[in-house]
Amino acid sequence: MAFLDLGALRFHVQRLGPADGGPPAATAVLLHGLLTDSLASYYFTLAPALAAAGVEVLMYDQRGHGRSGRPPGGYRLERFVDDAEELLERLAPDRPVHLVGNSFGGTVAFALAARRPERITGILAIESEPASPAWAVKLDGILRQAETGLADEPTLAWVAARRGAHTARLARSAGRLLAGTTLARDIPASRLPTEAQLRRIGCPVLAVYGTESDLAAQAAWLESLLPDCRSTFVPGQEHSVLIEAPDTVLALTLAWLREHGAELRGPAARGDLERSLR
Amino acid sequence: MNGSTETGGTPATDQAPPTDQAPPTEHQILAEIAGLLAVVLDEYGLDEGEVTMDARFAEDLGLESIDLVTLAGHLQERWGERINFAEWLAGMELDEIIGLTVGRLVAHVADRLQTAGRS
Repeated sequence: MAFLDLGALRFHVQRLGPADGGPPAATAVLLHGLLTDSLASYYFTLAPALAAAGVEVLMYDQRGHGRSGRPPGGYRLERFVDDAEELLERLAPDRPVHLVGNSFGGTVAFALAARRPERITGILAIESEPASPAWAVKLDGILRQAETGLADEPTLAWVAARRGAHTARLARSAGRLLAGTTLARDIPASRLPTEAQLRRIGCPVLAVYGTESDLAAQAAWLESLLPDCRSTFVPGQEHSVLIEAPDTVLALTLAWLREHGAELRGPAARGDLERSLR
Repeated sequence: MNGSTETGGTPATDQAPPTDQAPPTEHQILAEIAGLLAVVLDEYGLDEGEVTMDARFAEDLGLESIDLVTLAGHLQERWGERINFAEWLAGMELDEIIGLTVGRLVAHVADRLQTAGRS
């Protein structure tokens, strides 16, 4: 396990690939979501296959999550973006990177690309949106509900019965994060990028949605806001596309990296993997 | 998978010294993995004798997915590049990973070490 100290905070970082030891076809930084998420969501899904395709994969646990440090405060969006920016300087100082963001991870990716457009080659945003006043209101509601629900034993028992012990354990761990930090207050109080700032994200963006997710309705708005944004919809999926349909997300990611100039190697080189999944 | 000794010697016990010549038995691998799990689950603790071949990582031992990432690091430190836990798990469905037993990992490690020993 690798740790990297940024100031007083210790970050759990994982780097995979390229699997063949050759020069990277591309560098991808994978950003996970809030509360129940960690780099594990990528480590066991996209990361090994990307590494096998010759991609250098960088993953880290965001502040408060997984095995990274959990300060009692400091959870506004801009702090997460500071972390991403500084980790980029440390881990990939000399090369632009592709960002893959799941849910809140994509929100961090959009904010980082607005701040440092020259560092980012492209964004693949899975079930994600840039921060906006509407986003802050929505997150406030979700986090308040989670704060109450995840501290409530009957709710946790219901989760265990309906979704299994592992999900219940993740919920319990998210409850500890909310109870032990100011995250639920901080996220809605984040400094929000303006629409003018977001319009400066000139890199290509692929927005991936589940057809059954509420977020899918924002696809047209995001496409009109960003200079170069395309949407794709995964049938039958809700918010957890990455976890529920990892093969589809992998195929989309490989095709997207290739489209933007990455010369992939291994089994992904000719697109066989994508075709076999259709 | 043969759960007992395959080397034809005396039955393996926890006290059996690891040998560099022969690949370790499943029993020895189980003992080593139990030791690694104790390190991974440090803050929650692990009951004596809880790590059996049938124990499931998530359901029975209480590992979260991020704990499996940590375990992957320890496995690689112990047995090197021969064990690529992430790649092995990436080939599985999520339900399969959640229901994964210690025994399946032990069998996988034994298989990889034997293959590596022959090459």
